[in-house]
Amino acid sequence: MRTLRIVLALVAASLRAQLQYRMNFVLWMVIGMVYQLTGFFFLWALLARFRAVGGWTLEEIAFLYGLRLLAHALTVVVFGGLQNVDWTVHEGDFDRHLVRPLAPLVIVLTWFRPSSLGDLLGGIALFAAATRLAPVDSSPGAIVYIALAILGGMFIEGGFRLVFAALAFRLQRTNALLGFADGIFSNFGNLPLRIFGGAIEVLLTFVLPVAFVAYIPASVVLGHASELAVQPPVAYLAPLVGGLVFGAAWLLWRHELPLYQSSGH
Amino acid sequence: MSEPILRVANLVKEFRTPRRAPGLVGSVRTLFTREQNVVRAVDGISFEVAPGELVGYVGRNGAGKSTTIKMLTGILVPTSGEVLVDGLVPWRDRVRNALNIGVVFGQRTSLWWDLPLVESLELIKRLYRMSDADYRRELDRVVELLELAELLPTPVRQLSLGQRMRGDLAAAILYRPRVLYLDEPTVGVDVLAKERIRSFIAEMNRTDGTTVMLTTHDLRDVERLCRRLILIEQGRIAFDGRVDELKARYSMDRQLVVDIPDHGGPVVLSGAEEVRREGPRVWLRFDPRKTPAASLVAELASRYAVADLVIEEIDLEDVVRRIFVEQSGTRT
Amino acid sequence: MSLFAPAMTHLARMDAQTVLTYRVNFGLHLLGRLLQIYLLKVVWTAVYAGQAEVDGVSLATLIAYLTLANLQTWFIYPEAVDVFPNRVRSGAVALDLVRPLGLLPQLIARSLGRTFAVTLLVGASLPIVALVGSLRPPASAEAAGLYLVATVLAYGITLAIGIMLALTSFWTLETSGVGVLFLFVNQFFAGALIPLWFFPDWLRTVAELLPFQTQAFLPLSLYFGRLQGGDALHALGVEVLWFGLLWIAAIVVWRRAIRRVHIQGG
Repeated sequence: MRTLRIVLALVAASLRAQLQYRMNFVLWMVIGMVYQLTGFFFLWALLARFRAVGGWTLEEIAFLYGLRLLAHALTVVVFGGLQNVDWTVHEGDFDRHLVRPLAPLVIVLTWFRPSSLGDLLGGIALFAAATRLAPVDSSPGAIVYIALAILGGMFIEGGFRLVFAALAFRLQRTNALLGFADGIFSNFGNLPLRIFGGAIEVLLTFVLPVAFVAYIPASVVLGHASELAVQPPVAYLAPLVGGLVFGAAWLLWRHELPLYQSSGH
Repeated sequence: MSEPILRVANLVKEFRTPRRAPGLVGSVRTLFTREQNVVRAVDGISFEVAPGELVGYVGRNGAGKSTTIKMLTGILVPTSGEVLVDGLVPWRDRVRNALNIGVVFGQRTSLWWDLPLVESLELIKRLYRMSDADYRRELDRVVELLELAELLPTPVRQLSLGQRMRGDLAAAILYRPRVLYLDEPTVGVDVLAKERIRSFIAEMNRTDGTTVMLTTHDLRDVERLCRRLILIEQGRIAFDGRVDELKARYSMDRQLVVDIPDHGGPVVLSGAEEVRREGPRVWLRFDPRKTPAASLVAELASRYAVADLVIEEIDLEDVVRRIFVEQSGTRT
Repeated sequence: MSLFAPAMTHLARMDAQTVLTYRVNFGLHLLGRLLQIYLLKVVWTAVYAGQAEVDGVSLATLIAYLTLANLQTWFIYPEAVDVFPNRVRSGAVALDLVRPLGLLPQLIARSLGRTFAVTLLVGASLPIVALVGSLRPPASAEAAGLYLVATVLAYGITLAIGIMLALTSFWTLETSGVGVLFLFVNQFFAGALIPLWFFPDWLRTVAELLPFQTQAFLPLSLYFGRLQGGDALHALGVEVLWFGLLWIAAIVVWRRAIRRVHIQGG
């Protein structure tokens, strides 16, 4: 559609603008990638000595980690622009995006972040390696499920970014809160949540849907589904959670955008 | 008037800012707080603009003019009242309204900062769904009218303020919008560039019939361009009518500017009032209906050693200042 | 030289105040550290899988070690070197160069000031830390003494590294991303995530060739009495060696940096 071509043109423009600072661009790409993998490096070194964590072997952990990283990388690629809303609104610089013949949310999503490519490379690399090593169910159904789960994970984390971007119209400074939420997803999302025990696992499943990003889908295809805090049918529907979260976030955005005050001018 | 293109009725905008505590904790607390400061930036204004009009929208800082424009362009949602632009509600029919309008913000650019000017214009072409042929034709036109040929390959961040303003204007009219909003387009720009911009605006309005709403501090913009003037003060309209009517209604006074090099003390003349002095130059105001200019000049020449003098119409700034004083007087 | 002491104290106090003013910032850091300690506790408990000991180390000891290691790598990190690149970028460094004190002593003074303030705040937070992780007193008075000596040397080492990193901002302005990576490398090889005795052999060899083990692993090994007698002296020897090497390097870099500033017209 024409809108798609417009969007691509805007993304390309954003990319071109950032490529001007070439050194910076490459550096942030590399840093992003390496930073994402440091968490895995820790687990890898740990499991070189110990057999398993919470009943999950190194290969299975690698798969879980890779799955989450991939979903996260997609989040940053597609929804990375949302992180700039906080600052743009605070500077009163959001005005000009509201007079363009394109939905403001779409405009925001065209703001490209260079680190996202690094994240993507890291995620793909780890995930690809892990699928080969781990005893993953590779039936067609499982493949479809995992593909959907990755998208679902993207929509969950993306949904949270959208929530904080939406709240920026009301509160202006929300990036610290976003950083906090992001930290929770990053630190807990890569691990088999059963090691945290009942209360935390419930919190990270039903209150903050961290489990649905990678842990539950990985459990399903690795044969750990019986250990989960959720019943099998819910586990199979994990990708839908992303849709729900994002849908709610989108409604919030629509509700909050009219509150924009355009201050700072 | 024929079907108005802009219609504003009983427009009100209140800003509520919560009493916010600083920092992260404060941000969280703000979610729950009730205490708010309420400011009525726009307090019930109504007006209509016919297609092809060039309206000046003047007011002091904080009077509400930027807020009005922001509601007209869909940036802000009104607290109450009605805004219709070409039959559309700006903030609700955002995309369709955007295709109809061009906006230039004086203080901020709408262009892509790091990219060459021409690439910004190409993106505008895409955003506003221009055909290749239309784009080429319009591009040639704005490049010629605004003398942009040499500036096209330059990144916007390297342009001077005046050059950037011309770029913004080009971007705003490239797709021939029906309505053009100019929010302080000459602020901070040097004199020559100002004149260039003003004549461009006049040209747009004349040849294309573009409806223009111009907010400004600089009343010379208004004198040069606008036949109609809306004056806004404390969120309400203080005057809405033709510029020459304004001058006629509020003052028939003339101004006499005289240079008297060797005179230090006050200048005393019957029928004239000294309003300003800068070195040897004195500004005197008089009502020509009461004191004919000729007799004033004669008296002046007989009393003082006049080096030079000139008689002017009272300028708009003075008139507007008088209105504001009057308004704030009657308000409180 | 008579200006030296009061000037340095002044700088030290200025930076100490800045840290104390940023209470919220500190609070966030604290939360981050507590989160990390908590995560480590959970992961390690899972990894131990119910065994009382692994390689002669009990889970309880391990968790106490990790808690202290995370605190250690926090308060002996010279934060002033994070501020320095910004001063270069903004040009404020010109002021520093004009001050009657050399640049190097200034950096040291600032770092000391901040460290002092952070240490105070960390000390005040110990009760919360004890809730999340676990704290233990030193194995003996001798262990405590050795630990202190090792920590002072470690601080000096970290200072030298930090100064070198900070001074690179005279060559390139983009140091922020590298700083983030450095933080991880520093922590990891200091044994704050995995104690070095649990490293796979080849990784252990690498760690022993790097100075980072002096930050937490060596001092805490002394603290817990795992290194005694000859081993303890050996550990201190390693620290002294790194201290010497890195300070020589730091001074070389510093001289080069000053020269570069003069070449560029200051």
